[in-house]
Amino acid sequence: MTTFAEPVISSNPSYGVVAPRGQSKGRLFVKWITSTDHKTIGYLYLITSFAWFIIAGILALALRSELARPGLQFLSNEQYNQIFTMHGTVMLLMFATPLFVGFANVIMPLQIGAADVAFPRLNMLSYWLYLFGGLMAFGGFLSPGGAASFGWTAYAPLANSQYSPGIGGDLWVIGLALSGLGTIMGGVNFVTTIFTMRAPGMTMFRMSIFTWNILLTSILVLLAFPPLAAALFGLESDRLFGSHIFDSANGGAMLWQHLFWFFGHPEVYILALPFFGIASEILPVFSRKPIFGYKGLIMATIGIAALSVSVWAHHMYASGQVLLPFFSFMTFLIGVPTGVKFFNWIGTMWGGSVTFETPMLFILGFLVTFLFGGLTGIILASPPLDFAVSASYFVVAHFHYVLFGTVVFAMFGGFYFWWPKMTGHMLNERLGKIHFWTLFFGFHLTFLVQHWLGIKGMPRRYADYLATDGFTTLNTVSTIGSFLLALSMLPFMINVWISRKTPKVTVDDPWGYGASLEWATSCPPPRHNFTSIPRIRSERPAFDLHYPHMAHTDGGH
Amino acid sequence: MRHNRRILGLLAISASTLLLTSCSNKNISGLGFDKGVSSVNDTSGPLWYWAWMAAAVVGIATFILLMWPVVFHRKKTDDFPRQTRYNIPVEIAYTLIPLIIVAVLFGYTARDESRITKLDSPTTAPHNIHVNAMQWSWQFTYDDAALAPTVTGTPAQRPELVLPLGEKVLFTITSSDVDHGFWIPAFMIQMQALPHVLNHLEFAAEKLGTYPGRCNILCGRNHSEMLLTIKVVTPAQYTAYINSLKVA
Repeated sequence: MTTFAEPVISSNPSYGVVAPRGQSKGRLFVKWITSTDHKTIGYLYLITSFAWFIIAGILALALRSELARPGLQFLSNEQYNQIFTMHGTVMLLMFATPLFVGFANVIMPLQIGAADVAFPRLNMLSYWLYLFGGLMAFGGFLSPGGAASFGWTAYAPLANSQYSPGIGGDLWVIGLALSGLGTIMGGVNFVTTIFTMRAPGMTMFRMSIFTWNILLTSILVLLAFPPLAAALFGLESDRLFGSHIFDSANGGAMLWQHLFWFFGHPEVYILALPFFGIASEILPVFSRKPIFGYKGLIMATIGIAALSVSVWAHHMYASGQVLLPFFSFMTFLIGVPTGVKFFNWIGTMWGGSVTFETPMLFILGFLVTFLFGGLTGIILASPPLDFAVSASYFVVAHFHYVLFGTVVFAMFGGFYFWWPKMTGHMLNERLGKIHFWTLFFGFHLTFLVQHWLGIKGMPRRYADYLATDGFTTLNTVSTIGSFLLALSMLPFMINVWISRKTPKVTVDDPWGYGASLEWATSCPPPRHNFTSIPRIRSERPAFDLHYPHMAHTDGGH
Repeated sequence: MRHNRRILGLLAISASTLLLTSCSNKNISGLGFDKGVSSVNDTSGPLWYWAWMAAAVVGIATFILLMWPVVFHRKKTDDFPRQTRYNIPVEIAYTLIPLIIVAVLFGYTARDESRITKLDSPTTAPHNIHVNAMQWSWQFTYDDAALAPTVTGTPAQRPELVLPLGEKVLFTITSSDVDHGFWIPAFMIQMQALPHVLNHLEFAAEKLGTYPGRCNILCGRNHSEMLLTIKVVTPAQYTAYINSLKVA
């Protein structure tokens, strides 16, 4: 059990403390790193993962700079390989995955009316494993041979000690295993919290969509990360002890691809579902309507989670070693519940009273981007079409539309939406809109043209191309777009900086139409989240509390 | 009046989307891929075209549905809109319609994919070529002749893969070190080259000329230099080429 007592604030004049106790920077630091409060740990996750986002973004700019013109201008082949390997690794496993843990930590206990997560100390341990695992993998850059350079997919036998010697690869493998362990613990924690710590009246079918998505994501974490851990330990055993687990003479090349993608594909949904959840929170608030088709939406999410573990080999169509019709069919099928979700979101806005505050803009940006990413996904689900463009820039463009479109757009939507809840301050709307439009145009300028690069025959992970290949113009456009995209981070950072001086939010729900329970407590919430919990009679407890005449009790429809 | 301007705006957006997508491809019918280049294109080209047409219809329809409330259902008064929570017929419709669409797409996919992956046995195939990938070039062994001459490339000296026009070739693809990818973009086909695995691919080149081929599975430091050139010649020239290799 954790202790629920706040440390007593007292100042002893004999020590001559400059700042009052509990407010000096050192004290704040100690308080944060020793915290077991889910909100503080959530903030640590959000801040750390955002820092990784910036770092991996800078790596992306290095890649785009190199590709702007044919010929090697800034980087060697080996440096380029290290940089894209770490760009992918950091973006997926140090940024997007922990970002889900961050949002889940901050928001989910509030939404179910819990005082904390089920295992607060395990929660902090997860964070330390994540932080040091990430630093370890990235620390490869400081080693003599540089960081890992075998791609974030680490295909064996390229990733073994014969073809990729050097401590950078070992740091990568063990770093990911450590941070993956943290993610597994996070999954255990969230599943337990959601099943056992809901407030009275918070039945499963009154939980917010975001909480539902965190539950299903956590279950996927428990399915997908242990196989990754197994694969990583096997790889390290090959590298360090000379075992032959992924020896290609024993079918190791295919074994790795299967194990990796059995993790890798659910991982895509681990990244997508929480951010779909954020979209499902924001759309109703700015449409002044309940989420449309709540139960169908949950069924669709369960469907996506279930199907996501049966489609991994669509990453391996061109391996010649998988049953194409089965994986193709399952992949097409997963488009159906995804489409259902999309129409639920449209249905939520339909006939509503829609306004366009910054969180809503970002969610609309997500919907437009994800729509196109989803359509190219349907194209790639067909093996004959995949044979034409697999492992090309078409695929690079596709997964950036899907992942950047979902994770980054919804992340910023979530930041603007919950900033008052987390900090007690609103972010500036004008800067928010400048931020959104530069990000939106920067993103599409960078990645739309990459579809054509792929169709023209540019493979992914190429450090260079020939002037005669005809890739130059599109690459230059893409690089210009990437710098515009990077520039869009400035208005956000300025916004965060100036928000400290804005007046405190004094109401529970500054947006006015919040539905889920976090809008029924103060901004920011007290140490144990609620001083009182309203009656929970529907999936919109905060809305019912603030608009009792509109209250809807379930069972009535 | 304001309503009309919004409709016009919406139409302009849809029209420009259509225009942009059609202008950016010189060869509209192939949507980026040339027709009649290989036997794979004959099968995959139409599928590529129709899949994009279906995607365009679904995409534009969904985009309009998405933009409709953005344009027409903006906040006008402080009154609450109707708090609709469910509409079962609509929900069933938007579950069934996508299901039908993907079922149809899967039907054509299954048909075309079995055509592309159909193989002759090595004894009945008109031509047999072994492709061996290695860090960071290619090795081609022409099995047609008893001596089975081999051509080996280097990153600096890109190897040339010579194919006979209009005749099917059965490729046996493998690797002598790490995973590689044997990709001929213009032919809409690729196959991974895996160590200790023999993968097969069969198709006919159908247009004279040279085409770039590229390794597309990361294979180490000089991955981006693992290029090849595919040269399609007449069957007579092909035989002459193989014979010249045998002499050398």
